[in-house]
Parts: sequence; structure tokens; C-alpha cells
Amino acid sequence: MIQLGMKQFISYFLGLMFLTMSVVHAAPNLEVNTPAINALKNSMQARHTALASHYESGAIGLTANGLIAVRDAKALPLKDRRGINALVASENSDRSRLYKEVAVANSHPEWEASIQDAFAGRWIDKAQGGWYYQSAGAWQKK
Amino acid sequence: MVASSIKQFLSTLLLATLFFTSQMAYAVSSIQVSVGSIDSPLGQIKDAQFHVDLKGKKPKLNLIAAVKPQSEPDFIPFKLVCGTLLSGRAGYIDCLDGQLTSSIVNAPFSAHVTQQPTQLSFDILFNGINFSDATGLHAAEGLVGDLQFNAKKKNAVWQWDGQLNWDEGEVFWEPFYFGDAGSAFSAKGYANTKYIVVEDARLLVKDVGEMHAMGKIDAKTKQLFDVKVNAQQVDFDGLYTLLLKPTLERSTFGSLVVSGKANWQFAMKDAQPANFQLKLMDANIEDKNGKFAFNHVNANIPWDYDIPQNISLEYENGYLLNLPLGQTKLKAELNRYALTAPELVLPLLDGALCFKDVSAAWLGKNWFWHLRMDLIPIDLNQFSTALGWPVMEGQISGQVPLVTYASKQLSMDGAMTFNVFDGTVGMKNLRIDDPLGVVTRMYADLTVWKLDLAELTRTYRFGVIEGKLDGDVKGLELENWKAVKFDASLQTSADDQRKKISQRAVENIAALGGEGTAAALQRTFLRFFDNFNYDKIGISCKLRRDMCEMGGVAATPEGYIIVKGSGIPSVNVNGYNKQVSLTDLLSRIKRITDGNSIVIVK
Repeated sequence: MIQLGMKQFISYFLGLMFLTMSVVHAAPNLEVNTPAINALKNSMQARHTALASHYESGAIGLTANGLIAVRDAKALPLKDRRGINALVASENSDRSRLYKEVAVANSHPEWEASIQDAFAGRWIDKAQGGWYYQSAGAWQKK
Repeated sequence: MVASSIKQFLSTLLLATLFFTSQMAYAVSSIQVSVGSIDSPLGQIKDAQFHVDLKGKKPKLNLIAAVKPQSEPDFIPFKLVCGTLLSGRAGYIDCLDGQLTSSIVNAPFSAHVTQQPTQLSFDILFNGINFSDATGLHAAEGLVGDLQFNAKKKNAVWQWDGQLNWDEGEVFWEPFYFGDAGSAFSAKGYANTKYIVVEDARLLVKDVGEMHAMGKIDAKTKQLFDVKVNAQQVDFDGLYTLLLKPTLERSTFGSLVVSGKANWQFAMKDAQPANFQLKLMDANIEDKNGKFAFNHVNANIPWDYDIPQNISLEYENGYLLNLPLGQTKLKAELNRYALTAPELVLPLLDGALCFKDVSAAWLGKNWFWHLRMDLIPIDLNQFSTALGWPVMEGQISGQVPLVTYASKQLSMDGAMTFNVFDGTVGMKNLRIDDPLGVVTRMYADLTVWKLDLAELTRTYRFGVIEGKLDGDVKGLELENWKAVKFDASLQTSADDQRKKISQRAVENIAALGGEGTAAALQRTFLRFFDNFNYDKIGISCKLRRDMCEMGGVAATPEGYIIVKGSGIPSVNVNGYNKQVSLTDLLSRIKRITDGNSIVIVK
């Protein structure tokens, strides 16, 4: 019980510290543009055509950490399951790189994790009705 | 694994049923057997309920049980039904209108099984098998075909042969998809207590061709020992689409359009790769993302674990990152996991990249390359046009004492020389990260000597400036071939003699500065002169992202001097904007050099 209390205290303390830091630091500019970010966006845009139908069928969903995952390959005809893992891996590679590049473009490489969190929320907010996203470890249909 | 275990279990079950049916008495209306559990090296079966119904004209079999193959964490309940169970004599059994059902498989079938002390054979017709594991990444739908197998025992050795015909349906076995039925597989061989030997296996794959294989498998561990696979004149497109692409999806070669024919052979000895040979005949290979293409490729790539092999690769033409490649013949030696070649010449535009003392090694799933490079002069006009750069006149040449490529990073120790606009640009400390990836970064340091401004300004229709420039571009960084960082400084060469600038060039330089730049041009008087003398021209830009911190030959309280006049008539051009966007600057240069706008000096 005491241990739990201490844990809660540390959580509150860290939360307070984070809030204070957020006030002190400028918010990251998620719209920043660099040739690298443009290249990543173009690469993701080109892939989106292939991904969109998978989001709609529920085969692929948005994860809580700003990436995507195969949710249910069985939602697809067999021929459309080809390359689905590679597609997800390539998209995640671009997304991870995007978060890193946005942090670098903001001159704060150490912001990568919080930028990834911010994007995660954005992807889910922008997701179309019927797409799946992860929340508290479970898949939810938007 | 699940399917094969079920198949084995099915044979056992049918044989057990045979035992009951062959000894049945007419007074018996049904036979029911319950088994708590059966353990085997392949897995476990529990809660088995056999029920043979003898009441009707045609005996029926029902079996309910749960199977747990060793590879699976849980028991999988299943049901097996034989609509008609026939057994004319001992050792022969027919299961007609059969159905195997579980959470992962639904398999309608009819089977004929013969089991004798020295003979085992079965013929299974399957008619619409659906199968899927929990993830859906290993699945089959609507499989129709037949499987025949015969084995005869002689002197403790089983001689066997089998044939699988696949008439309808599709299979996805991550990452491979076999969508077109029409493939067939046949094999024969022998088996003893130690090994299962495949003497001749023939695999006919629709849209690819025919492959032959032989091999030896450990009977207990199922490990593959000796294998030889041989495919002649197979369709390269079919081979790539069906077998190569799925394993290369995320690599540089994962998105190709290919055509041509291929011969392929592969051998393993004692569970280790022993030799390999790939021959490509008049193949075409093109990256869908437009990064490279090779046309009319003929290649012979043999490899042997013990004996060094000579490999050759030729193509008629192609391109790499928009740079046209000429006819090329490459030869090298492949010694286990290392490649060496005294010289590889890669014709490029009107010149060539000449790689010398090439050595490469495959270590830890990565290639490491070391080589020297001589550039056989390449026309800079064609080179810059091909890359979509501003057109430049001159040649690229040079010698690079050491080029290395490792972990997707290309770097050069030594200098390359560009003979450009009658001057020289030296490039050193070149490094390119992930040259064929989504985000490519290039780093280099450039030094400029005696760039002829007359040639430069004539090329870009900028007005005429006579004189020469020296300077450097330190810490150049390109992101996807666009400059994002450098410290550049260019100024009139020290020993330069003839220094003249035309009125149009003065106006254009002034216009580059945008609204904030003004020319100290006394138009009322100086407009009658076409040319002016100058003492120095100089411009510097410290680029960070898109912002240039500008400078000139000297600073003034308000800004900097770009052109410092001299003699009579003379003119000064001053810059006032210390911070200039590179994008704006380039678009202004483009407007001016395109000659589409009239520049007005205020």
C-alpha cells in the first residue's frame, strides 16, 4: 500500500514536472517541412493507396504509438494478403523516420518520443469512420 | 504442421476402424470406442470418441477428438466424418463423402487407403479444402485436386512415389501466394529407418516453369541434408513474382518489373549450402520507383562453397538515379563470401566510372565494398541535365583513391574533380547515406578555382561578367539532393586581370537581393555605358535549412558589398538583406535566367 502510494506520488511528481517543462519549452512544430520530411511524406502518400483499403476492411489498424499493425489478415481475400506484413513494416519504418526528422527539424532530437505521441493522436483523430485504432491495448472501431 | 499431423492421424484412425469393420458381426449395429489420450512424437490426441454406425446399408464413421501438434500451444477440437465407410477385405478401406472439420480447417474429401505389411498406398481426392491459422497468414481456399501415394517395402527399405495435382483454389503461406491452380508435383524415392530419400521430384509451377529436385531428409529430425534443385529456362517474371519478390519486399529489389528467362540451380550438402548458379538470359530489370533499370541483361553467377568461381554480368543499357548507363561487361571472382575484381568499368553518359581493385565481402547480412575509382571524363552538360540540375558546361573527371560502401553508407577518401566553366571544382570528404533509400543525405566539401564568369553568365543568360572566381563550399549537406546546409564563399580570384560587368548583369545581381537591395547605379549618367569595371565580386551564404545568412566582399553599416566598382565608369552593387530564403533566391535566379521577366532596378 505504501509502495503504491509512493508510486502514485512519483507519477504525480513526474506529471507536474512534465507540465512545467511543457510550459517552459516551445511546442514542437509538427508541420515543419524539410526535403527529408517531404520525401517521407511522398513515400507514405504513394503507399497510402495500397493501405487505405486495408484500413477500411479492418485488416490493418492504427496503433496507439503512432504506427500501424496487421489487425486481422482474414478480413482480406488471400491474394490481397500478399506483402501485407512488408507494407506495414515499410510504413512503420517511414513513420519512425518521420518522427525523428520532425524532431531534428525542430532542433530538438530529444523530442522524438513526444512528437511520436502527438502524431499518434493526430492519425487517430484524422482516421475515417470504420477504421480501427488501438486504445488501452484493445482495437476500437471508429 | 497441423495438416500433416491430422493426415497421419487420419491414416491411423482409418486403420483402427478397419480393424473393427473387418471383424464385425452382423448382429452388431454400432461400435463405439473412447480413448483418453494418445501421445506421439508429433503431438497428442485426447478425448477421442470413435463411432461406427452399421445400421444402414452404408456404414458411417464419426470421430470427435482434440489434437495438439507439438508446434501448437493448445488442443484443437476436430470432427471427422466418413459418409460411407467401406472395407471389402482386410487392409483396404474407402472413406467416401468424408469431411474433416475444426476451427482451422474444413476439408471435404474421399480417400482410398491400402495398408499391407509391405505396402501402403492412398489416393485422396480433395474437393474444396479451406484452411486458415488464427492469424490468417497461412491459409488455403477452395483447394480441389488429388494426392496419390504408393510405397512398397523390400529388404527393410520402402520404395515410394507420389503425385499431387492441384486443379483449383489458392494458397497464401506468408510471404508466398500461389493463386493460380494448375501446378503439379510428383516425386519418387525410398526411405529407411534413418533417411527419406527423394530421388527425383518434379515441380511444375504455372507461369514459372518446371523445377527438378533431389534430396535426403533425416527421418527423425526431418532436417534436410543433401539437396539439389535445378530449373532450366524458367520465366524470370514468374520466378520473381512468385518466389523472389515476397522475400525481397523491403529491399532495393522489392519493387521490380522483370522479364526474360533464367536457369537456376542450388545444392546443399550436410545441411550447408554447397553451390549455386543463376543464369539470366536476355532479362530486363526495372525498378518501379525509377531508381534503376538494366536492359538485356545476360549473367552467369556461379557460386561454390569450396571453389572460387568466375562470374560475369552484361547489360546493353540502363540507368541509375537518372544517369544513363552504357553497354557494360563486368567480370569478377566470387570466393565463398567475398567478391574481387581487378577492374570493373561502368560506362556512364559519354564517360565511365572505372572501379579498380574491387573487393566486397558479405558479412553479418551486409555487403562491405572497397575500391578505387577513376572517372573517365563525363560531359557535365549531359550529367547536370540528367540529374535535373541547372545546366553546367565542362567535364567531371578525377581519381578517388578509396571508395567504401558499408551499412548503406557510401564514402570516398580522396578528391573528385569537376572541370567546370573553364575552372575547377574539387570535391572531397564525400559521403552518401542510403543512396537508394527514401531519405538520401549527401555530405561533401567543395573548393572552387578560377571559375570563368564569362562562360557561367553566358550559359545562364545573366548578362555578362568577365573575371574569375575562387572560393569554397564547406560542410555541404544535401537532403534528397536539395541543399540544406553549407558555408559558401566565392570571390574574385586574386590574380585576375580582366574584370568587367555588363549593365544587365548589374541589374540582375541587384534584383537577386529582392526589394531590399539597391544598386548604386546612377542611371541618369551610367545608363549610357554597357559595361563597367569592377575591383571585386564576392558573395557568401551561410545556409541553415532554407535561410541564407548573406555576405559580400566587404560589410557596410547597412549590409554588404557584392560588386565593388573600380575606375571609370564603375559601379557598386550592395546587398541589404542579410537573411535571404534560399528558395526565394533560387526562384529569382530562375526567373532571371529563364529570361521571362524584365528586371527593373529601383
